[in-house]
Amino acid sequence: MSKIRHLFNRLLASFRGRGAEADLAREIKAHLHFLEEKYVAKGMSPAEARFAAKRAFGNVDRTKELQRDERAFRWLTGWTMELRLGIRMLVRYPGLTVVGGLAMAMAITVGTGVFEVVKRATDPILPLPDGEGIVGLMYWNRAEDDRQTPNSYDFLRWREELTKVQDAGAFRLVERNFSIDGGVAEPVMVSQISPSAFRVTRVPPLLGRTLVEADESPGSPAVVVLGYGLWQTRFGGDKSVVGRTVRLGDTRATVAGVMPEGYAFPVDDNLWTPLRSEELSREPGHDALKVFGRLAPGATIREAQAEAALIAARAAAAFPDRYAQLTPQVLPYANSIIWLSPELLVHAGLQSINAFAVLLLIVICGNVALLMLTRTATREREILVRSALGATRGRILTQLLLEALLLAVLAVVLGLAATNTLSKAAVDLLRVGPERWPFWLNAGLSPATVGYAAALTLLAAIIVGVVPGLKVIGRGMADRLRESSAGAGGLRMGRVWTGLIVCQIAATVLFTAIAYVVHRQAVYLASVETVFPTAKYLSVRLEMEPVGAAGSVPALDRQRFAAVVSELERRLAVEGSVAGVTVADQLPLMASPNPRAIEVSGAIPADRSKRPKVASSTVGPNLFEVFQMPVLAGRTFDSRDENENANTIVVNNVFVDGILGGRNAIGQLIRYESVEPANDRRSPVKPGPWLEIIGVVRDLAPDAGAPLNLDNPVKPRLYHCLNGSQRSSPLYLAVHAKTDPQWLGPTLRRIAGEVSPMLQLHDILPLDHASNGDTRFWRVFANLFMAGSAIVLFLSLAGIYSVWRFRRRRTPFRRQGEQDSGVKPNSNRSEATLVF
Amino acid sequence: MSSEERRIELLQGSLDLIVLRTLSTMGSLHAYAIATRLEHISDHSLDLNQGTLYPALVRLEQKGWIKGSWGKTENNREAKFYSITKAGGRALAEKVESWRRLAGLVDKLLLES
Repeated sequence: MSKIRHLFNRLLASFRGRGAEADLAREIKAHLHFLEEKYVAKGMSPAEARFAAKRAFGNVDRTKELQRDERAFRWLTGWTMELRLGIRMLVRYPGLTVVGGLAMAMAITVGTGVFEVVKRATDPILPLPDGEGIVGLMYWNRAEDDRQTPNSYDFLRWREELTKVQDAGAFRLVERNFSIDGGVAEPVMVSQISPSAFRVTRVPPLLGRTLVEADESPGSPAVVVLGYGLWQTRFGGDKSVVGRTVRLGDTRATVAGVMPEGYAFPVDDNLWTPLRSEELSREPGHDALKVFGRLAPGATIREAQAEAALIAARAAAAFPDRYAQLTPQVLPYANSIIWLSPELLVHAGLQSINAFAVLLLIVICGNVALLMLTRTATREREILVRSALGATRGRILTQLLLEALLLAVLAVVLGLAATNTLSKAAVDLLRVGPERWPFWLNAGLSPATVGYAAALTLLAAIIVGVVPGLKVIGRGMADRLRESSAGAGGLRMGRVWTGLIVCQIAATVLFTAIAYVVHRQAVYLASVETVFPTAKYLSVRLEMEPVGAAGSVPALDRQRFAAVVSELERRLAVEGSVAGVTVADQLPLMASPNPRAIEVSGAIPADRSKRPKVASSTVGPNLFEVFQMPVLAGRTFDSRDENENANTIVVNNVFVDGILGGRNAIGQLIRYESVEPANDRRSPVKPGPWLEIIGVVRDLAPDAGAPLNLDNPVKPRLYHCLNGSQRSSPLYLAVHAKTDPQWLGPTLRRIAGEVSPMLQLHDILPLDHASNGDTRFWRVFANLFMAGSAIVLFLSLAGIYSVWRFRRRRTPFRRQGEQDSGVKPNSNRSEATLVF
Repeated sequence: MSSEERRIELLQGSLDLIVLRTLSTMGSLHAYAIATRLEHISDHSLDLNQGTLYPALVRLEQKGWIKGSWGKTENNREAKFYSITKAGGRALAEKVESWRRLAGLVDKLLLES
């Protein structure tokens, strides 16, 4: 115990040197006084007594040294002074602090960001109590070498027969219109899930109860459990929500409970209804279900897998065609949802991304080290003097390391904040759209990442501080001290540093080139202007909720959908704030599906692979009018073209210029190479019917020679007229608003609810937001790359400039020039100011 | 035997024991008084610069075996007084026991030869 106390007190004393020093000095002074008094009392003169006292006491400085050694860890005692000096250096060279700090922060941001992503991909952790015991069950299809989702037959067998997995449950996701008390319906994703899920996840409800086994029975009343987000947004956090009735599609259900904030099991869910297992098929079918459970106490995944394999063997004996090639897999739950190949190569590949990030850090820190070297060189005289006064090389190196560490700490704080912010922004970006984001991948930094950042900081500090430091305190230090005393220059660049400078120049050229390309593309993206004001258009995806059991949509449903959409169009068109309404399978500016090869009547038949390819859309007859697309020739669609056998098309002027060679398009016939859009090249081709071009419209974007390989809107395009049989779910509705289209959202929902409660409205967004997801992503990427490139470029230029200044300072020729320009030679302060 | 020949060098680690024992016997003392007491006890034969006490005092203080506090002497002079703590008393008992075993062993070896 006393040893620990001693160690702790020594450690404490290492950081509280000043008080202890004063105390010791006071004590020694008193001691010497006592001795002097004794010797004076013995008859000595005061001077003799003072001398005798000192002799009896021993060497005072030596005593202090020994006491200091005993009192504290000496290697720690100078830290406050070194720290103050380090801070002074950061303030004295603000350019280096900003440039170096930003560059290192960028490298650390990349490093920690990559580490976080790789860690979450390779080693996901469920943020649930005992989450490591939750497993997912699926099949591996050996014939197809791919995963296969189990069906209800598998789930029921596993639930009844598995002993190593408890509380086996299943879920499937369905989309339903959700409304409260006859309010506006909004489509939400509903998780139909076994009540055992709430036992597996071990999270109690915030209000009311979770789903229970009784809710599974076919005759039991319909209930829902709300997620925290839905409870807040749709019920305003009303604590008396339990017992209220909500409408899900055509079903009324009672709210049974509310789950706490952050609970989103099984994937990213906010609304749960019971999966009625009694209604599930007990025969192998195609009703895919995701299956989960919790490992029984003491059971391992391997044991559970072996047990599942026995069950699968029995299934294979009963249904060999279906199960002979299937191997059951019991996986940690997160891996069963986001599957990652267990192959070593895949994991090594992912980890290698970390290695690249570390390499980037080393390269960037090499740049900063070069800047540091020039700064250290300007302080060469100071370092040599310190050395001459007795400071060891280790002490000087520690000082330089501490200075670099301070810079690295600033950088890591900035870097971690940036990683946190960027990861949240990235998750927000990824959450937009139909894709669901698993709850265990939510943004934020894990403790492991913070630890990794600390390691990166140390590495960065060593590169930035120690490497240039070694150069300065390296061989020839004594000679340089002599040269310095004689007024001559000392430190010279070696081969390694010269090589680094060459790399610096190469990096500058390379990044300038890359930055130019990225900038050109970003400028192009910014310059793409459509002929219509995209911000005035509201886009919405229309879908019809299936009636009855899930499965194929019958022709009756299609008719019903067409009627509902027509009525919605009619009702919206008469609204005062609406300038026009139209529908299409794909609105202008939206990403096109794969283009299809065509054949032009009368043209020389080209090789199949060389036939022109065009994008196509099926649009409402008034689309050109609503989108203000001027007709350049012929006419646009009218009621004649709504006939299924009309076979008329409208093309854009890129089509005319690029495919018809600019000749008159009206009356020309074209046909698709194959009837089916995705024709297998090996199968015989059956061409589509001939289609007559009745009109040419202006391109949607002015720059036909766009250099980007994005799915931009200036491709050759055909427009088909939407007829009744093509009005199948989903369709996109575009509303041209007279004012801000965002205001139309509530009106749209109200009218849609009145037209049909089964009509689902998805992704109600201004067209400029909804249309070009790829373009938006590209813009974000381009901006990030530009910012990164700018930092690297600036860093490289700063490095080259500082070395250039450094080299000039070391040459006699330069001295002449310096005097001419009025700068004092050997003026370290002014040099440093000029450099940074 | 000259006075130089009579000087005794302290064995490694024995200074802690001596200081603890002195404080245990004499109560609260400042460093000079401890040094004076050692000189008297050893009849001026201990080869010890008085400054040597200070590392030992700070070590014992950090171990929690002695406690130092500033006070006034009879002559109204400021000095730091050290006193033994309870933990110091226990440590002293252990060290005395250990020393006696060592001294007994050394005596035994010397007698045999």
